[in-house]
Amino acid sequence: MTALSVNHINKYFYEPVEFHVLKDISFEINKGEFVAIMGKSGSGKSTLLYLLSTMDTEYQGNIAINGTEITGLKQNQLATFRNEHIGFVFQFHFLLPEFSVLENVMLPALKLKKKSREEIEAKALELISLLDIKGQELKKASKISGGQQQRVAIARALINSPAIIMGDEPTGNLDTHNTNIVFDIFRELAKEQGQTIIAVTHDDEFAANCDRIIELSDGSLV
Amino acid sequence: MNTNQKIASVFLTSRMRQLMVAVLSVTFGISMYVFMNSFMAGVNNEQTEITFTSMAHIKIFNELASEVQPILSELEEQSILIVNNERNIRYTEGIKNADALKNNLLHIPEISGISSQFNQNIFVRNGVSKRSASLSGIETLNEDQLFNTAEYIIEGDLFDLDKRSNAIILGVGLAQNIGVSTGDNISVITSDGISKAFKVVGLLKTGSISSDRNRALVSMKTARQLFSKNKSYATEVLVNIKDYYQAEIVAEEIRHYTDYKVEAWQEGNSQLDSSNDLRNIMAIAVSLTILIVAGFGIYNIMTMTVNEKIKEIAILKAMGFNGKDVIEIFLTQSVIIGLLGGFSGLILGNIVSRIIDNIPFEMPPLTSLPVVYRLSDYAMAFVFGLIITFLAGYLPAKKASKLDPVAILRG
Repeated sequence: MTALSVNHINKYFYEPVEFHVLKDISFEINKGEFVAIMGKSGSGKSTLLYLLSTMDTEYQGNIAINGTEITGLKQNQLATFRNEHIGFVFQFHFLLPEFSVLENVMLPALKLKKKSREEIEAKALELISLLDIKGQELKKASKISGGQQQRVAIARALINSPAIIMGDEPTGNLDTHNTNIVFDIFRELAKEQGQTIIAVTHDDEFAANCDRIIELSDGSLV
Repeated sequence: MNTNQKIASVFLTSRMRQLMVAVLSVTFGISMYVFMNSFMAGVNNEQTEITFTSMAHIKIFNELASEVQPILSELEEQSILIVNNERNIRYTEGIKNADALKNNLLHIPEISGISSQFNQNIFVRNGVSKRSASLSGIETLNEDQLFNTAEYIIEGDLFDLDKRSNAIILGVGLAQNIGVSTGDNISVITSDGISKAFKVVGLLKTGSISSDRNRALVSMKTARQLFSKNKSYATEVLVNIKDYYQAEIVAEEIRHYTDYKVEAWQEGNSQLDSSNDLRNIMAIAVSLTILIVAGFGIYNIMTMTVNEKIKEIAILKAMGFNGKDVIEIFLTQSVIIGLLGGFSGLILGNIVSRIIDNIPFEMPPLTSLPVVYRLSDYAMAFVFGLIITFLAGYLPAKKASKLDPVAILRG
């Protein structure tokens, strides 16, 4: 079953000079696949990921996620879609520093409002223990270590059980130990929960263990 | 508390000092608005009150018709019209049957008091000192109801005028000028040359020096007798109404009942009216300026907050919060600032007003600076304050809602 299909995507940057970033890219990703997007700096891999994440809407071509055509949807519809179907993990953890770990994890679900607060809290605690950060949930997000923060960010990405989890160099800031932990979590999610994972990475070792590698060079698929 | 409000309150309380500064600027603006308006209204009230101690809201009197019909109006063609020595002659003096007129007016609901007066210029004489004065024959009860005259009698009693037909009350200045005090006898000489002896039963001090040098009060009956006028005669009928700003409207209504000249206080005293208006405009202009400056303060602080939280906004958007949520989050912050500042501003405004109210200001009839406490000032201050904080918060919030998360997250 197809989780994501990309048809003839073209993307240009106009500032400071016109630049053809992505050149006629088409591919499909199946449900439960763990895919790495690789390429040199400036090859357009992050740009591609942000298009897939629905946050960047300036492109030509079509993107469909889980059978829903997202091209042409309005900003607010995209926000709702993102909230429910996509989990995002960034290179930098990007937690809200003034909120506790637990609140950070719960926020996307509180926004979605599909479950009661109690259910959300239970689910968040479950994820927190799954990611081995139990005992930290009442601390402020700015008061825990970098590896823990990244795991909190992953828990946050998982709270709404999204169909697709996207990572923009999710292990870029982590040491080998933490990278392995994060990788194992992703692996497990893909295998056991059937969630699709797409991660942009520079890490050859990380990529080597994925199901598939999509490699970009100068804006084209290799 | 929903999720957006929760986020707003966390954002807000994470910077207590900024919050305090923002709240204080609103507090200051609103308290100044309250204070300025209370004070100006106090000054205006005092001003009108002083004026109305000697002036009625509406005056009815006999005046020469202002529009005089020409004696010959029709001009035949090729004829020449010559009128020699044309003049406007007064056939009647005063109001012949003031009582009937008063009875007619009694049923107008806006009217709160009616009194008739008999005013004439006279001379008062004590031995060799002689002064001109303006004599008022008054209906003591009605007069007191209109002008609180009894309060201004510093010696004797206003109602003694009714007890003896030769009783007179003099203004303090007048009494001093001719060298008499309560209990002395004087003689009054009318313009027709009639002279009568009176006994001074009291002294009047209104605070208006020119009027105190000039006035003499007798009872209505005595005045009519002195000038040999009929029982119901008066030179003017004075009317007070419940809301003196309605005087022109009520005057118009009274014109249906009488052909005599009906004059609302504004007609003869437009300077009073316009100085009241000017003071009000000034108070509003100053206090609105202060509020707007406070608004810029909030705008500044909210813009700073948005810039500080730019990453958080991008994260929220990436997680699926939409533009409306972002606006709600930042608008909630400024509304909370507005509410906190608003309430404390009302309290501070009230405190400042009370302090000003107690500052001694010895200028009769005042003893301290005049301040009025009107609920409407407080309501207006609060509403204006909220509107301005809302606007000042909306612009940065709108800007935040349009942020492109990709640009920020990619760095």
